[in-house]
Amino acid sequence: MNQPARALSPVPSLANARSAMERIATQLGRAVQGKSAQLQLVVTSLVAGGHVLLEDVPGVGKTTLAEALAKACGLSFARVQFTADLMPADVLGAQVFHAQTATFQFRPGPLFRQLVLADELNRAPPRTQSALLEAMAQGQVSLDGATHVLPAPFTVVATQNPVDFSGTYPLPDSQLDRFMVRMSLGHPTPEVEAGLLVTRDGTPPLDAVESVSGPEELASLRAFAAALRLDASVADYVVRLATATRSHGDLERGASTRAVLALGAAARANALWEARDFATPGDVRAVLVPCWAHRILLRSAVQGVSARDEAAHLLEEIARKVPAPR
Amino acid sequence: MRKGTRLRLALRDLGSGFAFASMAVSGQLPIWSLVLYGVALVVALAGRRPFSNRVKLTALLLLAVALTLGTNVLAGSLNLVVAACAFAGLISAQRLLSTPDATTDGQVHLSGLLMVAGGAALSGELVYGLFLIVFGVLASIALALGVVESAVPEGEPVPVRAVMGPLATGVGFAVVGAVAFFVLFPRLNWNMIGPSASPGLGVATAGFSNTVRLGGAGTIKGNPRIVLRATLSPDPEKDALDAYWLGRTYDVFDGQEWSSARTTSDGAGFMTTLRPGRENLVHQRVELMPAYGARTLVAMETPSRLGNAVTNTRQGSRRTQIEERGGGEVRFRDAGISYSYEAYSLPPGASGDDVQDLPPEEQDALLALPEGLDVRVAQTAARVLNGERDPLAAARKLSAWLQREYSYTLELSGDVPDPVADFLFQRKQGHCEHFATALTLMLRTQGMRARLATGFFGGERVTGGYVVRAGDAHAWTHVLVPGRGFITVDATPPAHRASQSPRLLEQLINFYEVVESQWRDVVLDYNFRDQLTVLRSLSRSHEVPKKDEPPGRAPPPRAFGAALLAAAAAYAAWRLLTRFLSRERPLEATRFADAVEAQLTSARITRGEGETLEALDARLARERHPLAPALAPVTRRYLEARFGGRPLLQGEATRLLADLRRAVLTQTQRGAREGTRPPQARAS
Repeated sequence: MNQPARALSPVPSLANARSAMERIATQLGRAVQGKSAQLQLVVTSLVAGGHVLLEDVPGVGKTTLAEALAKACGLSFARVQFTADLMPADVLGAQVFHAQTATFQFRPGPLFRQLVLADELNRAPPRTQSALLEAMAQGQVSLDGATHVLPAPFTVVATQNPVDFSGTYPLPDSQLDRFMVRMSLGHPTPEVEAGLLVTRDGTPPLDAVESVSGPEELASLRAFAAALRLDASVADYVVRLATATRSHGDLERGASTRAVLALGAAARANALWEARDFATPGDVRAVLVPCWAHRILLRSAVQGVSARDEAAHLLEEIARKVPAPR
Repeated sequence: MRKGTRLRLALRDLGSGFAFASMAVSGQLPIWSLVLYGVALVVALAGRRPFSNRVKLTALLLLAVALTLGTNVLAGSLNLVVAACAFAGLISAQRLLSTPDATTDGQVHLSGLLMVAGGAALSGELVYGLFLIVFGVLASIALALGVVESAVPEGEPVPVRAVMGPLATGVGFAVVGAVAFFVLFPRLNWNMIGPSASPGLGVATAGFSNTVRLGGAGTIKGNPRIVLRATLSPDPEKDALDAYWLGRTYDVFDGQEWSSARTTSDGAGFMTTLRPGRENLVHQRVELMPAYGARTLVAMETPSRLGNAVTNTRQGSRRTQIEERGGGEVRFRDAGISYSYEAYSLPPGASGDDVQDLPPEEQDALLALPEGLDVRVAQTAARVLNGERDPLAAARKLSAWLQREYSYTLELSGDVPDPVADFLFQRKQGHCEHFATALTLMLRTQGMRARLATGFFGGERVTGGYVVRAGDAHAWTHVLVPGRGFITVDATPPAHRASQSPRLLEQLINFYEVVESQWRDVVLDYNFRDQLTVLRSLSRSHEVPKKDEPPGRAPPPRAFGAALLAAAAAYAAWRLLTRFLSRERPLEATRFADAVEAQLTSARITRGEGETLEALDARLARERHPLAPALAPVTRRYLEARFGGRPLLQGEATRLLADLRRAVLTQTQRGAREGTRPPQARAS
C-alpha cells in the first residue's frame, strides 16, 4: 500500500517540518521497534546535515536502520562492507580504460549514493577510511585531478563494533570528529524482542517501511533547520560547555570548533521536534552527549564501551556544572 | 503617535518650560511674553501643534515680535539682554508648536540652552538653580529617548520602561559629576575680589522716601521678607529684640505728608573706617538684603557712627562712599544689590545730639504745625495733658492715652483732606504713622519739640544674628528733652509695632531665606578662594601645633595618610561602581521564569540542582504530573520570550502567572481532598 507520491515542496512551516520528521521517524519505527529516542536522534542528525556513527554489537538492527532510513526518505542507498583489503577505489570508483574509445572513463563507486552505509568502518585500512571521510567532509570526490560531486543529500551511516577490536584500525579522533552523532541502539527490551518473535513471519522488516519523503524535502528541511534562531545566550552556553571540556582535568582534549558548530546545528534540528523556530539550552542538553562523546579524548587509557560511558558521564557532569542561561 | 514619542515630546516641552521659567523668575521679562509662552506651552503639552502647516506665516509672527522688542529697546523701555531673552523664549514657543521632527527637537533644546543662559544673565537665584537642574534632567532624558526611539524600527513600541532605569542612573551620575566638577574644578573669574550678589526673590518692597504720606492702604505690615540682617556685639542674647532701627526722621508736616526742613544733600560723600569703639557702644554689623530696596542705612537707636560701607553688586563688592541727607538720613551713594556696613549706637537712654547742635530753622521746624490744623487737636492734647509741662512725661501720658483710646488697623479709608483729624476724631483707628503723627503734632501744640522717626522695630534671632523683616517697618516719635536730646516715645499699641504677617508664612520665608543665603554662599559666591579653602581644610590639621617643634618642610605624615585614605576610598568607590554597573540584570523573561518557579515551589514541586524550567517542564511531562498541562504553555512562552526573540507582551506575564496559579490551587485542593479521602473510605 504505497502512498501516493508526496508533493515534494519546500517545507514552509514549523508544523510541516515537525510532521515530516515525525513521518520519517514513524517509518523507521516500523523497522526498528522500541527505539524511538534513538530513531529521533538519527532523524535529527539527518536534518542537521550530519553523518551518523552507530556503535553496536552485531545483530541489533544497525543495517536495518540504515536501510529503513534510505527507504523512508526515498534516498538512493548503497552498503559498503569495510574489510581489511578494501581499497579506496573500491569505494570511490576508478578510471577504467575503454578499449574501443582508447580513453579512461570514470566508473563511480558505491559512494555515489545519497545514503551510504559504511559497515564495520574500522576494519578497513586507514587509506580507505580517510578516503571515505574526506568525501564525507567535502561532499565530493577528487580523483586523478577531476572532481566528482556526490549526490545530495550525501549522508553516511557508519557502524563499528565497540567490543571486538582484533584486526581493526581504530578511527583517528580527527576523523571521528566528522560524525555529527555517535550512538548505539542497544538490545531491544524483552517485550519488543518477544513481539518480534511472534509477529515476524518471514517478511523482512523493511517491507513495512514506506517512502514518505524525498531528497528535495530533506534539503528544504536542512535549510529550514539551519536558519533557526540560536539566541546569543544559547550560543554562549555552547561555547562555555566547550571551554569546560577543554579545561577539564580528566580530558586530554576538549571539544573542537567543529564540535561546537555541530552541537549548534544538532540543537537547531532538535528544536523542530517541538515545532520551535529557535533552539533552547534544553535542545543543547538533549544532543550534547551523542554529539560530543566521541569527540573528546580521555586521559585514562580505557577503550571501547567503558570509554564511551566514561565520556558520556564526564559530559553529563560538565553539563551539570556549567549553568544554563535562564 | 507612539507612546514613547508622546512621553519624549512632553519631557522636551516641559524642559523647555523650565528653561523659560529660569528666565521668568527674574521678573524682568515683559508680561506679554510670559503669557504668549505660557499659552504655547499649554497647547504643546496638550499635544497640539497648530504651527505645523504654517511654517512661513508663524516665522513672520516671530519677525513681528522681534520688531516689537527691537523698538522697545531703541525707545529705551527695555533692556537689550531682557529683550534677547524674551525673543529666545518666543523662538522656543514657536518651535514647540511646530511639527515635532528631529530638526525641531534640536531647535527646541538649543533654544532651551539659550533661555537657561539668559536666565543666568537675568538672575542667579536659588529658583534659577532648581529650574536649571530640572531643565537639564528633562532635556537629557528627552534627548536620550529620541536616540532610543530612532534605534527602534518603525511600528515597534519604544521600550520606555526598560531604558528609563539606566537613563535615570546616567542622569544622576551626570548631576553628581557636575557638582563634583563645580566644587573641584579651578575657577578663575573676575569675582575673586569678593562675593557678588543676586537680587533675591523678586522686587524690593520696603523703602525710604523723602516724604511719609498718610493714607493709602496698608500692606507693608504683612510682608515677611527679610530686609536686614545684623550681628550685634555685645550680643543681647534675646530671641526677640525690642529695638528701634532708625532710618531717618521728619520734622515738617503739611497736613498730608511729612518731609524734612533740610532736604538737599551737601553733596559731600565720605568714607569712614570704623575702629573698635568705646565699650558702652553697641556695635552692629549690618547687611541690607536685596529685598530692602533702598539705600538708606539703618542702625539701632541712637546711631552714633556709621562706616565700613560696602556695596555688593553683580560685579563684586567694593568699599563705597556714604552721604548724609536731610532728616539724619545716611545713604549709599552708589546703587547696588545689597549693602553691608558697620554701625555704633548709643545704648538706650544715653544722651544723643543736643538741640543746640541743630541749626535754627530746624529747631523751629520741630514746633511748626501745618496750616489749618484742626483746633480740636490742641484742645484734646491740653485736656489729656492736664497741665503736664515736662516733655518726656507729657509724651508718655499722651502716648498712653492714644494706645488706650485708639485701635490699630491696617485698613485705611484712603486719602482724606485731613488725615490727622480723621484719625483722631472720626475713625479712631489707624496704623503706626497715624499714631506717631498724632503724638508728634499734639506735643507740638503744647509747645514741646518733637519729630517723626521712621525705620524698623524689632529683630528676630536667626542663627546668631538678628533679622528684620519688611513688615517690621515702623514709625514713632522723637521728643526733644532738654539736656538729654531726642527720646523715643512710641504711641502705637505694643502688639502692633512689629511684623503682622502670619506665623506660618514667616517660617516659610525664614526657611527660604536660609536656603537662599546658603545658595549665595555655597554656589553663587563660591570662587577660587573658596576652592582653595576647601582643599586647605582637607589637608590642614585642626590641632594646635606644638610650639617647640620647628615647622618641617615636608608635609606631615597625616597628609600622606589622608592622601592614602582618599585614594583607597576612590578605589573602593570605583570598584563598587564598576561592579554595580556590570552586574547582570535579570531579563524580563528570566524574572518571569523566577516567578513561575516560585509558584511551582509553592505547589511543592521540587527542582533538581541546576534544573532549568525547560528541563523541569520536560520531566513533569514525562512523569505525567497533573500540573504538566498547565505548565507547558507557560514554559513554552518563557522559552519564546527568552530564546526565541518574541518578548512577553504587556500584562501577558501576569495573565500566564494567574492561569498557572489557578491550576496550582486546583491541584492543591484536589490533593487535599484526596488526602482526606482514605480515612472516609475506611470508615465506610
